[in-house]
Amino acid sequence: MTHSTKPVGRTLVFGALTAAFYTGFFAYGDTIAAHFAQGSLWAAGPIATVFAVSYLHGEFASNLWATLGISAVRKHERTTVTATKRPAQRPTLHA
Amino acid sequence: MDMLALDPTKFIDLNTMSIVFLFLVGFIGGLVSGFIGSGGAFVLTPGMMSLGVPGTVAVASNMCHKFPKALVGAIKRFRYGQVDVKMGLIMAVSAIVGVQVGIKVQQIVLAMWGQAGSDLYVSLSFVLVLVFVGGYVMKDAIHCARSGGEEETTALARRLQTIELWPMISFPRSGLRISLWFTLPVGFATGLLAATIAVGGFVGVPGMIYVLGVPGLMASATELVVAFVMGLGGSVNWAMHGMVDIRLVLIILGGSLLGVQLGAIGTTYVRPHMIKMVMATIMLIVAVSRGLALPTYLVKLGFMELPDATISLLKNVSFASMCLALLTGAVIILGSMWAGRKAQVAAS
Repeated sequence: MTHSTKPVGRTLVFGALTAAFYTGFFAYGDTIAAHFAQGSLWAAGPIATVFAVSYLHGEFASNLWATLGISAVRKHERTTVTATKRPAQRPTLHA
Repeated sequence: MDMLALDPTKFIDLNTMSIVFLFLVGFIGGLVSGFIGSGGAFVLTPGMMSLGVPGTVAVASNMCHKFPKALVGAIKRFRYGQVDVKMGLIMAVSAIVGVQVGIKVQQIVLAMWGQAGSDLYVSLSFVLVLVFVGGYVMKDAIHCARSGGEEETTALARRLQTIELWPMISFPRSGLRISLWFTLPVGFATGLLAATIAVGGFVGVPGMIYVLGVPGLMASATELVVAFVMGLGGSVNWAMHGMVDIRLVLIILGGSLLGVQLGAIGTTYVRPHMIKMVMATIMLIVAVSRGLALPTYLVKLGFMELPDATISLLKNVSFASMCLALLTGAVIILGSMWAGRKAQVAAS
């Protein structure tokens, strides 16, 4: 566990941004959903929306767990099998 | 914005109960996905349908929530050095081909035996694949646990890695070098299963571990890359047909982005064999759940007769056991995280 300071500020900022995004969206939820359901180029709507939420809410969630003291532990280094070595150069004919 | 009415045949009215249900299933599904690389989808689609969402909208909305969740989980686990991006992208490309073939097979089954036949095919695939693969993963997880949590590369993977079949590809992250011709079938099978039972990871992760020799921790994280690529492609396709209910997607994402990060953090608290243990447990319970659904389809096809009350009971027990699978996975993850944290506090 890291002993760095907890990201309270970032949690609050991204929490507020996420809350504002969700509030704004659901104020017109049915209308927006109806527009996005027209298909064709409107497909960009839901895709762009989920990318925006991934960033805002994703950052909020990440900072929230860190603020609550739940962070990754680097207790063991990754153990992987050793790659098989590429065979030596192909045999060449030294005539 | 001009006023446009929401089509009531495609989009349900949201109430507090349905919002809470979707948020919670999203959170638990996210937790499991962050930990084992997949999961949640098998409960979310039938869960949405039980709220009255039509099947296609449920599948489309589920997929549209899946790829951003996978993206966030993949980024998180990449920071922990657990993602093999190169392996993920190669797997994803072959998985896309598998998805297309899987859809064609589904269409043929649907044309030949109708909806009940298609449902029976899906459930049979679920049971056969999950019992066989889940049983193998469970056996390996128990073996790992007994040998102090050490993972071993399977004899099959070691053998395949020694076969010099052009083109050979190095995966430094996973610490292996293997022919492309052995990588492609694993991705293809992942896509085929994703198109059939919507959870390709149940074959993708064990395939990477046991066939290619990718460490379990790395395989479960790399599966998130595969899920992102496949989910993005599928979501664009569904969205172009206007089948995504963005309201449902945002509610599920609200829970799942919290869950997926917690699940990803959880992988650093536990020994790698716990990932196999959770995956196998979920797979075997889901297999039982789908096994309970089989008689319903056999009745519809006229192969057997059962009273309506029994069919209804089987349906409910089947759905409940699917929820149980997800909950059990979540409890094991949180429990092992708790134990890992306690051990860490005691050590420091």
